[in-house]
Amino acid sequence: MTAAREPELRRALHDTLQALPPSPAPLEAIIRRGRRARLRRAGAAGGGVVLAGVIALAALTANGSARTAGPAPVPLGPVAPGGVIAHGTADGHQWRLAVQDIADPGYSCLPAITINGTDADPVYPDPDTGAAVALGSALPGVGFAFVQLPADITGIVVNGDVSVPAVTVAACGLRYHVAGFAYSLARPLRVTVANPPPGWPPVFTMPLVSTEPPSTQTTPEKAGLWINTSSALGETASYDLAFGTLPDGQDWVIKLQFGTGGDCYELLGSSSLGSAQMGYCGPVSTPDGPETIMALPLGLPDPGTGATGYAVQVSPGTDLLMATLSNGSAERAAFCVVDGRKYAAFIVPGPLRLAKLTWFNARGRAFASTTALPQYGYVQFQP
Amino acid sequence: MTEPRDELAAVPDIIDADGGEDFTAFATSRWPGLVRLAFGLTGDRWLAEDIAQTALARAYVAWRRVSQADDPDAYLRRILVNTSHRRYRRRRVTEQPGDPPDTPVEGPADLVGERAALLAALHQLPPRQRAVIVLRYWQDLTDAQIAATLGCSPGTVRSQLSRALAKLRVSPALGAGDDQ
Repeated sequence: MTAAREPELRRALHDTLQALPPSPAPLEAIIRRGRRARLRRAGAAGGGVVLAGVIALAALTANGSARTAGPAPVPLGPVAPGGVIAHGTADGHQWRLAVQDIADPGYSCLPAITINGTDADPVYPDPDTGAAVALGSALPGVGFAFVQLPADITGIVVNGDVSVPAVTVAACGLRYHVAGFAYSLARPLRVTVANPPPGWPPVFTMPLVSTEPPSTQTTPEKAGLWINTSSALGETASYDLAFGTLPDGQDWVIKLQFGTGGDCYELLGSSSLGSAQMGYCGPVSTPDGPETIMALPLGLPDPGTGATGYAVQVSPGTDLLMATLSNGSAERAAFCVVDGRKYAAFIVPGPLRLAKLTWFNARGRAFASTTALPQYGYVQFQP
Repeated sequence: MTEPRDELAAVPDIIDADGGEDFTAFATSRWPGLVRLAFGLTGDRWLAEDIAQTALARAYVAWRRVSQADDPDAYLRRILVNTSHRRYRRRRVTEQPGDPPDTPVEGPADLVGERAALLAALHQLPPRQRAVIVLRYWQDLTDAQIAATLGCSPGTVRSQLSRALAKLRVSPALGAGDDQ
């Protein structure tokens, strides 16, 4: 190409970029992300301002475009201790739903709804948000759910006969007006507002949760993953956890998206022959809860090769995670901190396999190890 | 001469009675241009849409400032380019010359090869040089406007442009040497 061919470059760029047909502007997602960022900034600015913002947002969202004559905001009630929004016993097992900070100590607060202190679901000061989760074999037949409510709604009714009061909890400098409950998975879930104010829709549509396959859009693909209502916010954070080049020259990157879908990982590989990717979502761990070990096998386009990406959301006390491969070699996993939570990620090139993971603390002492490792999808492990 | 490349500027402003632009209308009208600009910077359609979404969310946060700026589109363009650079900063070390773009290039058969070659050639450039090329030859910005977008001096823009063009001239993806 010569300088005289710059007009050709101009034309080629125009043709190439104009040929791209963009999808419709995702206005709802854009504005939600913007609102969340505003609230985070407000959170950093001061609690009083935040509370005013939350109340204003609650009124704004409750009113919405179709609810222009909605109720005026009212003050939130007393704050329930410990962030607990609901607790009880199901089939002899105690359960507890709470809003708590799930970031590692020393990092910015990260509020989430947890079930028994783990399986976190990020939570936002959005009164339309709700989600449900089932714990599978740990507590078969029982589902758990929460709904975030505007300040002036006092509670909900589950399946027409169980009244659940809304409580106000505080976490990370924000207040959440939430109703939480357990319910039977044996029948569809229906949630109504106890005393809907004028202009507020009386029925919340909650997802039907089942522990049985096959999974659908409205059922979890695996126990422990929260299923959020459509109005829930999506991605909270995204990051490239690790990247590199395989011995045969193929590039790879392991990406993380943390949000209401859980911790969603993706392994992308590319070479001169093309590209491939593999993604999977797993439960969100808490500092005290079990860690999620995720495996993403990928048949990269070079014949006879392949690789498996691994990602682990590690506990705050972990200083080093060592991967032992099937040929006896050991590999130190790279650490990243995303939204205050520490992850390790690495790749195992085929035909090698991951044989063992070992956790080390800051003193260099191995304090946990496991050989129960997934080849695809995830397992949970308590170090 | 082709149609104006700067879709951000080509869309008429939507001004309400108070002189402040409505964000929804602003975002809707700018979305296609933003995605295409991000696509030129990344070569990846889905990443481009994600970056455009992030840029508009940031514009929403600073909407009062953006809407009252002398040139809201320049402000938005700067947000998008910065977002793109941040997203790519960690990935660029993995880029290898000759990698094809992730996104299939659609269109008439005789144009597909040329578009793919151009994207592959752009993909070989460092992000800042790639940005200079796209901003100059697609957005038709001046050195000063590009400098304002990238946060550097016009002299740096000229040197980056010169280096980028030099690399494109010898790019195998663009068939360098074919006409010798």
